[in-house]
Formats: sequence, structure tokens, C-alpha cells
Amino acid sequence: MKIKTTFRAGAMITLLALAGCASGPGGGIYVPVGAEPAKAPEPPRTSGGEGEAPVWRKSEQPDVEPAEQKPPRTSSPSYSEAGDGLSPAALSLVREADGLLRQGDISGAIAQLERAQRIAPRSAEIYFKLSEAYVASDQLGSAEQFTLKGLSLAGNNTRLQRAGWLLLADIRRARGNVAGASQAEARAAAL
Amino acid sequence: MFRLFAIGLVLLAGWTVYLDAVVTDRFEGRRFEVPSRVYARPLELFEGASITAGALERELQLSGFHKGAGEKPGSYQRNGGRFLISTRGFSFPDGDEPARKVSLAIAGDRVREFSVVKGKAAPIIRLEPARIGGIYPAHKEDRVLVELGQVPALLPATLMAVEDRNFYDHFGIAPLSIGRAMLANIRAGRIVQGGSTLTQQLVKNLFLTRDQTLLRKANEALMSVLLELHYEKDDILETYLNEVYLGQAGTRSIHGFGLASQFYFGQSLRDLDVHQIALLVGMVKGASYYNPRRNPERATERRNLVISEMEQAGLIEPGRAARARGLPLGISERPSYSENRYPAYIDLVRRHLARDYREEDLRSEGLRIFTTLDPAIQYAAEFAVTDTVPRLGGSESLQATLVVTSKDSGEVLALVGGKDPRFSGFNRALDANRQIGSLIKPFIYLSALQRPERYTLMTPVLDKSFTLEFDDGRRWQPKNYDGEERGEVPLHKALSHSYNLPAVRVGLDIGVDVVAETLMAFGVDTPISRYPSMLLGSVSMSPITVAQMYQGLATSGFNTPLRTIREVTDASGKALSRYSLEVEQVADPAAVHLVQYAMQETMQEGTGRSAYNTVSRQLTLAGKTGTTDDGRDSWFAGFSGDLLAVAWVGRDDNGATALTGASGALPVWSRFMAQVPQHGFSPVVPDGVNYHWVNTRRQALTDEYCDNARLLPFIAGSEPTQTVSCSGTLERRIRGWFEGLFQ
Repeated sequence: MKIKTTFRAGAMITLLALAGCASGPGGGIYVPVGAEPAKAPEPPRTSGGEGEAPVWRKSEQPDVEPAEQKPPRTSSPSYSEAGDGLSPAALSLVREADGLLRQGDISGAIAQLERAQRIAPRSAEIYFKLSEAYVASDQLGSAEQFTLKGLSLAGNNTRLQRAGWLLLADIRRARGNVAGASQAEARAAAL
Repeated sequence: MFRLFAIGLVLLAGWTVYLDAVVTDRFEGRRFEVPSRVYARPLELFEGASITAGALERELQLSGFHKGAGEKPGSYQRNGGRFLISTRGFSFPDGDEPARKVSLAIAGDRVREFSVVKGKAAPIIRLEPARIGGIYPAHKEDRVLVELGQVPALLPATLMAVEDRNFYDHFGIAPLSIGRAMLANIRAGRIVQGGSTLTQQLVKNLFLTRDQTLLRKANEALMSVLLELHYEKDDILETYLNEVYLGQAGTRSIHGFGLASQFYFGQSLRDLDVHQIALLVGMVKGASYYNPRRNPERATERRNLVISEMEQAGLIEPGRAARARGLPLGISERPSYSENRYPAYIDLVRRHLARDYREEDLRSEGLRIFTTLDPAIQYAAEFAVTDTVPRLGGSESLQATLVVTSKDSGEVLALVGGKDPRFSGFNRALDANRQIGSLIKPFIYLSALQRPERYTLMTPVLDKSFTLEFDDGRRWQPKNYDGEERGEVPLHKALSHSYNLPAVRVGLDIGVDVVAETLMAFGVDTPISRYPSMLLGSVSMSPITVAQMYQGLATSGFNTPLRTIREVTDASGKALSRYSLEVEQVADPAAVHLVQYAMQETMQEGTGRSAYNTVSRQLTLAGKTGTTDDGRDSWFAGFSGDLLAVAWVGRDDNGATALTGASGALPVWSRFMAQVPQHGFSPVVPDGVNYHWVNTRRQALTDEYCDNARLLPFIAGSEPTQTVSCSGTLERRIRGWFEGLFQ
């Protein structure tokens, strides 16, 4: 019983995060095949940017230093500051899963969440929801792994990070890993 | 006399009861062996879904949709990029998908303006999944079972016109026809006419021998009447369609129109044209006498006779009949035995199923198997292999495989087992165990980078030859592929340019055992040799194992077991097994992020850069080449934001080729990637990783616009502490700003 109430807190936080989330910039840029592929090999560039910046670089964050905003100087490896947000389609599946979870249909909920995961694979929220479903079915090992996966996509989104670390703390405590739980809690508190 | 008659009657009654038991038993057994049905993944349609208009149309056709006005369930209308689709509705294991009418446009290879026009509103819908094969009951031969409702109506109609006009009216035998046939036979002095009904023919096929004796004839007639007493005409007709003998392939007999259609035309029965249906129906009279491969003239004559009968019976217009008569037989060059479009993939599905199900249940219990195969991806993968391999030059015996998985879910989306994707023989994707060469290097460097106090991407590593002497006196002297030595190179460059000597040095420093443990953590379940030569990839793996191993690299250190099956249900739709998504963190995401950096560099500056001859520059990719001695194996493993693909090119006899990973497997891989709309690879920076501008030669932080400045990720605490500034600072800075401005 105690475990259940503890988890409710985690679930609430996840839900809050979901409700407030919007489609962020994250992920790689979408490249249709309709775009004409490069005909000739391009030599590795030392300078010059591409048509569209795939991601914002740390030094190019417009809200920090607008003057520094420019396309990437070299065709250097890409990275993102955060995972993807949820599209309305994915969000509708997550809501459906929520409904199923409330009715106690855990495997039904997981099936819908996996559908959502397939169309939004880089969204931390989906993995947190999967974790919640596995907590409900008392598969805490899987729940912990999905939380870690979600955290790996939370990037610089502090709200998602906090939700993830608190969820992880709950799960670890329930698994008897007190030290791990405190560690996760400390991470949440440090945000 | 009366007593004799009475005894005869009793005997006949007993005999009839016996025959009745035989008939029902055999017929039921045949009818109720329902093969398992294998489905592709259902296509999910929603605003923003990634698909080309061509792929959507192919998918609709594969799922049995007809082109038309898009008003009737199971039909669609296409105007350029605009689609109107009326779905049939489908019962999925996780719930029913109701029939709907949806409207959408494809623009920029994405679904736009998605709306449900009729039916229950929803932001996302699933199409009925395409049936991609079956696991069939085998009585020594493969069978492509067809259902009466699924065959083109022209087939049974033609069959009846030619073989048994009164099929729906008689009670199993047609005395008039028998009389006519007897008369003709007496006149000719030998048997020239059969006069058998379809029911009799079926009985003959199912229960009796082929000799033409009177007793056999009597049994046949009796059993036919019994069969008609027990079963509906449609059941008998359907069984006939699946039982009729239509040819021989070596020791295997070809039974049924479904298999015959595959065997002679390489096509599905439902796609056959008038002249092809006519040929198959014509062959019922004598499959070997009218064998179109051996006796094409005789077969053509017979076919045209059937076409005339179709015309006379009013089944086809005279114009169409004339056109059909003018067509060649249209026989496929090579016989194909199965309707299985994706033999390599189905093979993997069967192996996964074998863990939980008995073979005989799969063959006869009518299970529904929902797989992860993505027909659009499979199409692109097959095209990439068949289009690229012949252009690679060199020997005819060059073979290739391609494995494609979904990066974050581990679902196997496509599998090509050889350069002829329809050939269901040796499945190289699963069974070709080949040395992996440099594909091992990311795991050596990952093992090293997990010790940030010793290794960073900037750490200089020595590209210089050395000799290793073993206790037994053997010596090992690894070399670079190009034979050059470059002295000190930064670690990221050693990986992106795939230099051998630094990889072996780092591997030996970290320990061969540690590297082997990393491989095992990433899902390698085959034995790994612990000799130093394993650091140059002397370990053998199948392409599917390589895909499993790279999954963890692509997903920031989360091992995701590969899956081909989502769910299995029984015939009534009750769920039997679910195969869920699983993830397990097996490596420090921070260290994996650094390796991903170098694997992206491979594509931009290193051994994989020729990919961008084919792929759009916008698509950021990460990958690794692999080549073994004398070009015996050419590998490429890499990923985008959405997909992971492993390509292998080589010879089955393990012979030498002139290929490297970059010239053999990479062209196949890039050809595939270029055809699929997708997201570029752009990993989320994990906790505890920071990017810094550095001068790798000077091992120091530097300014963004300095020469040799490179933006490298570091695990927090491992970044350099020194700073160097470049000369002519102001001038260079100004130039740098202008460079940015005028791009």
C-alpha cells in the first residue's frame, strides 16, 4: 500500500510533465527523399554552413547571445540539447494508455504506449509512462530501465529531468536500493 | 436370389458406412488444417507520419486495397499527393480498429492535412496489415492455401465452364455426362472422355489411386455422393481449388491453384490475368501433357481452347478473348515455390516462434502472427541490394545482405538474405558467420572512453607498427590497411579513419577481456576469441548479431533485444503471446556519446564519407566500415535518427574480392538510406557531457575561430585545462564572423 502511494507522486509528476510539454526542437532534422541527393562527392568542409542548422549549438543559443547565431561552421557531428516532444497523435495514444491503466488493463496500456513509442521514439515522456505501467504490473526492473532510458532523452529539460530522477528514486527505494534512491533524489534536488 | 440381393445390400451398406467415415475423416482433416497467417506491421497514419506517396500506394495495394473512388471499404483514390482511403476495419490483438474514411495529402514525404471524413474521429489510425505469408501444413509439399472468397471469380467460373457446367446443380455425379462419356469411349474403343464432375475429381485426388478400373469408378461415384451429402458446394469447390494436381517439380508435386500460380507465373493467384487463368484451368486435364515449360505449343493450344470456352460461356468479351489468345504464355523463367515474398524475414520469424510454439501448431492451428516487417523499408532494402550488387563489379558470385532495424525499438523492419531476395535458400543475414573486421573498433574505443581519466576523444594514440610475440614464439605484426604510419593521432581520428595500429594499441592497453566483455554486454551471444587479433575483428558474427550489437551504440548504451514479432493470437483473436519492448542500460551513455561523435565523423571526414555521394548532406548519419583480409568481407554498420542498418558484401566461398567496406557494403547501405525519408542522427547530449572548442594538436581549449579548432564532447572532468589562443586573433575573428554572415 505504501509503495502505491509513493508511486502516485511519481506518476503525478510525470503527468504534470506530460500536460505541460510541447513539441520541442529536439531530434535530427527530417530529410525527405524528395530532396535531390548530392550528385558529386563534396570534399570535407573546413568552413561554411549548411542550408539549415540541424540543431542549436551551445554557443549559438539565441536567447543567450543573439549576435553569435549563425549556421554551423563545419559539417561537424550533430547533437541535440533535448529529445522530441509529443505529437498530438502520440499524445492521444498516451492518453488512451492512461485510461487503460486506470481500468487496470496494464498490458493494454503497454501496447498503446509501445505504439506511441514507435511514432515518438525520442520522447522521454513515453519512456516514463512505460515505466509507470511496469510499476503498476510490479515489474520494477523493467520500470527502472525505462526510467533510465527516458532520462537519457531528457537533455536540458529540467522539468523532465526532475520527474525522471524522482521516479527513479521511488522505484529504487521500492526495490530496496536505498543508496541508489538517495542518489537519484539528490540529482532531482540539484536541478 | 433374394437372399443374395439382401447380402449384397448389407455389404453395400457396410461398405457405404466405411466409405462415409473415410470421406468425412480425410476431408475434415484437410479442411481444418488452417495455416498460421503472418502479417506485416500495420501502417499508422497520422499528421506528420513519414512516408512517400509511392510507398503509401504500394502499402495500400499490398494490404489488398483497390484503386477507385475510395468510397467502398477497402478502396482508395489517389490524385497526385492526395489520398482518400476507405479502410475495412480490423481486429488487432489490442483492440478493434473500426472502418473509416480518411483524407490526407503527402507533402515532403510526410502525411499532411490528415482527417477522418467518416467514422470515429481519431488523430491516428491503423490500416489493415498486409498478409506477408503463412506457415502452411506440409504433406511433403508446400501449399499456398486459397480461400474461395479471395480467388478471382473468373477462376471458378472458368473451371466450371470447362470441367463441370452443372456443378452447382448435381449431387456429386452427373449420370448424363457419364453416359455421354461411356458412349464416346465405346465408339473410340478406349477411354477418351472422363465425364467426371469436380466432386469426383476431388474424390479421386483425395482418396483414390489413379488407375481407371470399374470398381474404382464405383467407389468414386459413391464417395462423391457421400461428400455432397455432408458438405456445401462452396466447401467442395474450395478444397478442389487447393487439391487439384497441376504439375511436378522434381519429387514434389504441385497441388492447388495458389501454389501453381506461384510455380508457373511467380505471381499471386489474385493478380492473374485472363490468359493465365485459362492456362491453369486448361492444365487440369493433364498437367504434364500440357506442361507449359516443356510443351509450350501444346499448352498454348489448350489455353486458347479454354479462352474460347470462356468466351462462349459469356465470361469474357470477344475482344478480350482475342487479346488474351494473342498473348504469350507468360511463364516465369524460374519456378518459384512459395507465395512467400520475404523468405529471409519469414525464416527469422519462424526461428523466433520456435522458441515458444510447436511446429505443428504453427502449421495447423490458424494462429495470427503480427510481425514488425515494414513493407516500405523492405522494398527499399531489396532495391538497394538488387540494384547495387551487380554494379560493384568483380565476380558473379558476389553476395550481399542487409538488415534494417528501428533504432529505438529494436524491431527488425527488413531483412534481405542474398542478392536474390525471393530465393528462400541460405539465409546469409542469419547464418553467414563472417569476420567483422573494423566493425569491432567502436567497442574498443568505447571500452577505453569509459575510463575518462585515461582516454578522451582528444587523447593522442600511436599509429606506429609493433610486433607482439607470444609465449610459444609466434609473432604478430598488425598493419594499417594502407600500409602507412602516421605517428600520434587523436583518438577520434583514429576511429573515424579506421587506423588499425592505434586500435590494437588501445585495445591491448585496456585489455582484450574488457573489450570482449563490452561486446557481450551489447548482446553478442556467440563465443568471442580472446586473442589479440580479435582487436582487428577476427571474431565471426552473422549480420543480425552485428545489428544487435550496434543497437546499443545507436541508442546511447541501451541494449534493445531485436524483435520480429509483436503479438501472436489464436484464430479467434485471443492473445497468446506478446513480445514487448525491452531496454537495458549496458554502457555509460556519456562514453557512448563520444563514440557516436567519432562515428558521425566517419561519415563526414572518414572512411564512410562516400555515403554522401548518394545520401543528402542534410541527413546526419553515424557508422563504421569493416573490411577483412583480401576483401573477403565488406561490412558497413550505421544509423540515422530512425533506422539502423547493417550491410555485408562478400562471397559464399569466403573468396577474396577487390572490395573494402567503403566500396562494397557502403554503396548498398547508402543506396538504402537515400530512399527512405527519415530523421538525421542527432543524439541528445547526456548528463555529464560538455562540448568544448579544442585544439587537438596542442591538447588544449581554444577559441572557436582558431585554426584547427574542433568542437568535441568531453565527459565532465576530462576536458583539457590549458587554453591556447591563436595568433592574429582580431583579424581572424573578424574573418570568421564574415564567413558566417555571408553563407
